[in-house]
Amino acid sequence: MKRLLPILACAALALITGCGQSEPKQGTSPSNGTTPATKKLSIALLPKSKGNQYFVTVKKGADKAAAELGVELLFDGPTNTDPAKQNEIVENWITLGVDAIAAACENREGIATALKKAQAKGIKVLTYDSDTTPDARSFFVNQATAQGIGYTLMDTAAKLCGEEGEFAIITATLTAANMNEWRKNIEARLKEKYPKMKLVDTKPCDDQKDKAQQETANLLGAYPNLKCVMAICSPAVPGAAEAVKQAGKAGKVKVLGLGLPNENKAYVKSGVTQAVILWKVEDLGYLTLHAAAALARGDLKPGATSFKAGPLGELKIEGSDILLGQPFVFTKDNIDQFDF
Amino acid sequence: MILAAFLVAEFILFSATGRNFLQADNLANIVRHSTEIGLLALVMMPVILTGGIDLSVGSLLGLCAVLFGKMVQDAGLSPLVAGGITLLIGGVGGGFNALLITRLRLPPLIVTLGTFSLFRGLAEAITKGTATYSKFPESFLAVGSATFLGLPTQAWVLVVIASAIWLLVHRTTFGRTWRSIGFSPEGARYAGLPVERRIALAYVMAGLVAALAAIILTARVTQARADAGTGYELLAITAVVLGGTSIFGGTGSVHGTLLGVAAIAVLNNGLSRIPSIMGVSRELSGVLTGALLIAALAGGVMMKFLSGRRARRQTSHIPNTSSNA
Repeated sequence: MKRLLPILACAALALITGCGQSEPKQGTSPSNGTTPATKKLSIALLPKSKGNQYFVTVKKGADKAAAELGVELLFDGPTNTDPAKQNEIVENWITLGVDAIAAACENREGIATALKKAQAKGIKVLTYDSDTTPDARSFFVNQATAQGIGYTLMDTAAKLCGEEGEFAIITATLTAANMNEWRKNIEARLKEKYPKMKLVDTKPCDDQKDKAQQETANLLGAYPNLKCVMAICSPAVPGAAEAVKQAGKAGKVKVLGLGLPNENKAYVKSGVTQAVILWKVEDLGYLTLHAAAALARGDLKPGATSFKAGPLGELKIEGSDILLGQPFVFTKDNIDQFDF
Repeated sequence: MILAAFLVAEFILFSATGRNFLQADNLANIVRHSTEIGLLALVMMPVILTGGIDLSVGSLLGLCAVLFGKMVQDAGLSPLVAGGITLLIGGVGGGFNALLITRLRLPPLIVTLGTFSLFRGLAEAITKGTATYSKFPESFLAVGSATFLGLPTQAWVLVVIASAIWLLVHRTTFGRTWRSIGFSPEGARYAGLPVERRIALAYVMAGLVAALAAIILTARVTQARADAGTGYELLAITAVVLGGTSIFGGTGSVHGTLLGVAAIAVLNNGLSRIPSIMGVSRELSGVLTGALLIAALAGGVMMKFLSGRRARRQTSHIPNTSSNA
C-alpha cells in the first residue's frame, strides 16, 4: 500500500543527515558534542517570534558576539501564535544540554515553569527585551529604563524646540502603565530642566495610527503656537507626522517619538519627523549573548553591579537588571544605517 | 507495517546524528509535546472513519482552555470540578456539531468549518483577545510535568484513551458501524444500523477529548490563552491520514493513527537536534511532513492502481461492483 513511503522518507532523511555531516563546524569541537569537557559553550536565544525584523536584528548582534566569543548560538522561536511553542522550545533545549538560555518572553508567567526547569538542570537563564518572573532567571537584560526613555524624549524635544515653547504628547491610553511611567519621567525632567517649555495637552490614540493622526490634527488647530508633538507609542509617531505634513506645517511643528526606525524612515528623510527614539536593537542582542556567556562561564554572578561587554563598555547592573544604557536617537543623519 | 519501519528508521538516524536524542528526558519530552495532538488524532480517526471530518477540535480546545482558566481563576473552582465542567462543555460543543450534521444533514466539512470560527471567536470574546489565565494551583500544574511509574503523566492519559478507542474501533460493533457508514451511509441505513446515533457519538467523543486535551495543555504550558490549539486540527488530520485511514472513510486503524502521530513527533524533535539544521528544523519538518503525506497518499493510490483493485473506495455511493474505467 505505501511501499514508496519509507524509501522516499529515508532518502530525504539521509540527504539531510548527510548534509549535516559533510558540513564541517567552524569550531574545534566535534558537532555531536557528547563530551562536555571539550565542548564549546552552547547558548540558546529565544525570540518572541522568529520572523519579526526586530528579533532578526537582535540575532545579528548575537551572531557577532557569538563569533567573537567562540560560542555556539542556537536561535529558534515560534513561527506562529501557538502559545505552547516557546515552552516546547525551551524544554527541547534543556534535553539538548545547552549551557545558557536567553529568552524574550511572550508570556511572563507561562514560560516561567519551563525556565525554572532549565535552572533546576543547571542551565543558566537570563531574559532580554521582555522579562519573566524574577525567580525564573538570574538577570534581565533591560534595553531601556522608564527614566532613560522619559529623559531622552524630553531632552530631545527641548533641543528641537530651542528649550522654549508649547508641546503636546500623544500616548496610547491614559491608563497604560508603562507609558504613564514614561510620562511621569518626561514631566519630572521638564520641571527640573526646562522652565520655558510648557506641556499643553496629552491625548490618547488607543495605539492606532489613524486616531493619532486625527488627534494631532485637532491639537494643531487648538494650539496654533504648538512647537512640538511628542508621540510615545509607536503607531502614533507616523500618525502624528502625517497630520503635521497634511497641515502643511512640516518642519515648523517638530515631531519626535518612540518607535521603529523603519516605520518612520520616509517621514524622517523628508524632514517631517526630526527624531525617532529607541535602543540599538543589534546592541541588545550583542549584550545579551555576552551576558549569557559570562553567566555560563561563572564570570557573571548574581549580585554583580556592573558588566563589561566588549565595545559597549562597562554597563550598570541595577538589582538583577543589566542596563543597555541610554536610548538611541535616530535622525536624518543616521537612520539609513539601521534596518528594523 | 511500513510506517513502523519508518519510525524505526527515524530512531536510528536521529540517535546517530541528533544531539542527545535517545536521552530519557528527551523521549519524555516527545511524548509530552505530542499528547494534545495525539489525543485529537485519536478522536479524529473515528470521525474520518465515518467519512466525516472535524475541523473544530483545535478551536474547541482553545475555548475549553479559556473557560477552564476562567473557572479556576475567576470563579475559584478547584481544578477537579472545573475540569469536570470543562469536559461537559467539550461534549456539548461536539454535540452541537453532531446535531447540525445528523439532524440538518449538513456536510461535516461546512458545519465544523463554521464551529471552527465560532468556538475560537467565543474564546477570543471571553478573553477580549488579551486576557490570559495563569493562576493555577501548583498541584494542578505539577500534572503537566510530573511522571507516574517512570512515564510522563501524559503518556498514561494517552495510553488510556488510545486503548479505549482501539477497543471501540477494533473490538466492538461501534467500530464496525463506523466503518460501514464510511463505506456507504445509505447501505448502513438500509441494513438497519443507527447511523445518526453512531455519527453523533464520534463527534461528541471528539468534543470531550478536545476538552481533555485543553486541560492537559493548560497544565503543561501553565497558562490558558484564547489561541491555544491553533492549527492542531490540521496536524491531527495529517497524523490520521498518514496512519493509513482513508480520508473518504471506511478503512483505517487506531494503531496506524498512533504511528502517524509518533512519526511526525519524532521527526519534529529529531530534526531540531541535528546541529547543521537546528535553526530551520521547524520549517524543514513542515516540508518533510507534507512531502511524507503526499508520498504516502500517492504511493497508496499507485499501489492500488497497479494491483488492479482500484475502484473499491472512491465510489462510496455506487454499489460495490468494481469498474476499472
